[in-house]
Amino acid sequence: MKIVIVGAGEVGYHIASRLALEDKDVVVLDKDAAALRRVAENMDVQTIAGSGSSPSILEEAGIRDADILLAVTNQDETNLVACLVANMLSPTTLKIARIRGADFDAYHETFRNQPPHIDTIINPEIEVVKTIERLMRVPGAVDVGEFADGRIKFVGVYLDRQSRLAGIRLSELPATIGQRRFLIAVIVREEEVIIPTGKDRLLPGDLVYFICEEKQLAEALSIFEKHAKPIKRVLIIGGGRIGYRLAVRLEAQSIYCKIIEKNPSRCAELAEKLNKTVVLHGDGSDHTLLNEENIADIDVVITLTNDEETNVLSSLLATSMGAGKAITKISKFSYFPLMKAIGIEQVVSPRLSAINTILQHIRRGKVLSAVSLKGEQAEVMEAVALETSDIVAKPLRRIAFPKGAIVAGIIRGEQIIIPTGESVIEPNDHIIIFAQRRAISGIEKIMAVKLEYF
Amino acid sequence: MRWRYILYIVGTLVLFLGFSMLLPLAFGLYYGDRSVPPLIKSIGLTVSAGALLFMSFRKRREENIRQREGMAIVAVGWTAVGLFGALPFYLASDSWYFVDAFFESVSGLTTTGATILTDIEVLPKGLLMWRSFIQWLGGMGIIVLSIAILPFIGVGGMQLYKAEVPSPVPDKLKPRIRDTAVILWKVYALFSVIEIALLMLGGMTFFDAVCHAFTTMPTGGFSTHNDSITHFGSLYVDVVIIFFMIMAGINFSLHYQMLRGRPLAFWKDGECRFFLAIVGAFVLLVTLDIVRHDVYVSLGESLRYGAFQVVSMITTTGYATADYEQWPAMSQVILFTCMFLGASAGSTGGGMKCLRILICFKYCYRELFLLLHPRAVTSIKIGGKTVSDDVMRSVLGFLALYVGLFIITAIVLGGLGVDFVTAFSAVAATIGNVGPGFGSIGPVENYAHIPYAAKWVLIWCMLLGRLEIFTVLIFIVPEFWRK
Repeated sequence: MKIVIVGAGEVGYHIASRLALEDKDVVVLDKDAAALRRVAENMDVQTIAGSGSSPSILEEAGIRDADILLAVTNQDETNLVACLVANMLSPTTLKIARIRGADFDAYHETFRNQPPHIDTIINPEIEVVKTIERLMRVPGAVDVGEFADGRIKFVGVYLDRQSRLAGIRLSELPATIGQRRFLIAVIVREEEVIIPTGKDRLLPGDLVYFICEEKQLAEALSIFEKHAKPIKRVLIIGGGRIGYRLAVRLEAQSIYCKIIEKNPSRCAELAEKLNKTVVLHGDGSDHTLLNEENIADIDVVITLTNDEETNVLSSLLATSMGAGKAITKISKFSYFPLMKAIGIEQVVSPRLSAINTILQHIRRGKVLSAVSLKGEQAEVMEAVALETSDIVAKPLRRIAFPKGAIVAGIIRGEQIIIPTGESVIEPNDHIIIFAQRRAISGIEKIMAVKLEYF
Repeated sequence: MRWRYILYIVGTLVLFLGFSMLLPLAFGLYYGDRSVPPLIKSIGLTVSAGALLFMSFRKRREENIRQREGMAIVAVGWTAVGLFGALPFYLASDSWYFVDAFFESVSGLTTTGATILTDIEVLPKGLLMWRSFIQWLGGMGIIVLSIAILPFIGVGGMQLYKAEVPSPVPDKLKPRIRDTAVILWKVYALFSVIEIALLMLGGMTFFDAVCHAFTTMPTGGFSTHNDSITHFGSLYVDVVIIFFMIMAGINFSLHYQMLRGRPLAFWKDGECRFFLAIVGAFVLLVTLDIVRHDVYVSLGESLRYGAFQVVSMITTTGYATADYEQWPAMSQVILFTCMFLGASAGSTGGGMKCLRILICFKYCYRELFLLLHPRAVTSIKIGGKTVSDDVMRSVLGFLALYVGLFIITAIVLGGLGVDFVTAFSAVAATIGNVGPGFGSIGPVENYAHIPYAAKWVLIWCMLLGRLEIFTVLIFIVPEFWRK
């Protein structure tokens, strides 16, 4: 399995490190020698200095025997040309490109069907907008993912100190909350990922990932004392491309929306393009402006400027002034662990969205989709249970499942089963597995399939 | 620094070395000679020491090796392997001092080929095989070998590889370090097998053919005979060995490209062209020089011995077919220069490496050029590719350290009572991993008479040269030990 990655930026770097850890042959191309050095020093991949859109460099990288080309430089044009050249040299290589320009939105299909035949176009901005929408709708969630075309959600919430679930063992859970409607799959405690057993306790401050059917999500959240409040008023700070896209989406859902943007000419442009949204010229961290705009009545503040620190501070300011909640855009991965400590729970990252989407698109075959949790420590994946594997036709509790992995959902046709120890997996069921990375090889064995890309 | 983890990997290497002693044991058993008891004892000691380290420091899998840990593993690992590799000699008879056994073992492992033995032929076959076999293991690198065959080194392999194969421009043939290591060893083994076959066609016994292939491919230079290659007295053998020495002195990634069906790879590579040109020029000069002084009767003979000796020295092998100390001064100076130049980067040869010399030449030329065109914007290119500034910096740093260490150690040797010519040539021959030098350690002499303290210094020099200085020298930098 060989993957050529064009662009050693944040996205290229993280995807490369992820794939290298899974023993894939990875070649990273970039013009910037310093960026390449960072890659070469930290992971076992090949690096080649040069432009990824140059045919000779792509040849040198061995594009002809590559299975996947990932074009993730920060320039759309370079990415497109890289795919075009790759298509010329090696038409069978699967091509995935990151294209951010909104102008290209309408042409994604065309790019697929005509040269350069890009199999998947990723626009992280669209992904981020989707993530923001999901986070807005699920109260208290810090992470929301979907399986089985959205019929199954997996949601991460922080456990409050006063929650009635705090301190109980998982085995006592059914007694506390009555019938089980969800399954707790992962607990993140002090940056460590735990796949819990019945003996583990829930502690206040834990980040709990649970999985449940879409229909029962509200109910499940209420057990965690996260009550859904209808979202009526939204304030967006930063009217860049993501801000604009989000505003368009919110307008379509008749949500009252304001955008604060610093740059007057961008304001004028936004005002032209948007119909119902109120465009405000000013600084999102300006106390008086926020007061004027009745910040206390705003349900959600979303900070989307290009400056990380401004986003963090504006979010904190807005919530301290009475806004319902804040969603903050952060790009630097190294800041993520700090966010909880300074009181910011809901974070979105275009880069992380891009990485997750790309990984989902390249994991294929018997594994249908995969999402990483907490950086790279754990993974959620949807896979098909083969008739030949060890896991079918007996109750789950009798399966010698590797430590650090759990079956969190079974999808049988239209039916969705949140499993208990007595549940039985049938051949061709889709199962959702949460697994720590070290458990992945064990899962491979037990599933009798290789968790491979393709 | 996680010393536990370092010792764990070192333990693995020692364990591995212990098992590799089974090969000479097999020869020893076949010939039924005196090497069997010391080899069995050594295997026992080495395997149990390795297993002890391995078991007691085994921990849950570590994912990453930091750069300084990689260097520590390689430096400590090579020293440990050198120590345990000395056991078969030390246990063989009472006449071996430990420092001598250690010297012989490190000389083998670092592919130096300097020996303290006055009479090689008295050694039992098993020990002769061990001498050759450790050269073969050390040639392509024990770490590279362990990356290739031990699965668990995995991710950290990159740092280890960089510390053991510190080529100025890193060469990764395959995206994954493990695949790269496997390819390098396959090419290396392939060449060795072909050489064994060709040598046997020339009438060598199987034992001699294996031993000599094991010491040609790593550019080691240990022979099974007192008079080295002269013993065979065959033009055919000389030619085969010259050919394989040159092959071993060329970057192995070029061999790989050639085997993959790109026959022009040698020609397209700037360093390889430079290396072959130097070899050609030196062979010509030495031949003319010895012809002029009527050392040999015919031109053909002068060419034969001249070529063999130039190739042997520049690839840092150290075989001898002639006593070059009887040659005229210019030839001797050229051979001495060869000890410094060394072979190509990414080959099994030692010395400063042609690539560095070439980069340094071009750098010097650029300085002159800039004096004439002060505003010119230039870049230094090797084979059409620009050499980046940090590569340049590390190359110049390396050359300065090489020369600096050469002088300092030579002074130390002088202080320990070694004479002037011997002191200089011994340091050049050990730091360049050549083997024989000039003065009292010439091609027909050996290192036996060197004072013991000086032998320790030379052992250090050999490791310094094989691991290309930085990896070993980093240990004496105080900053390395600072928390």
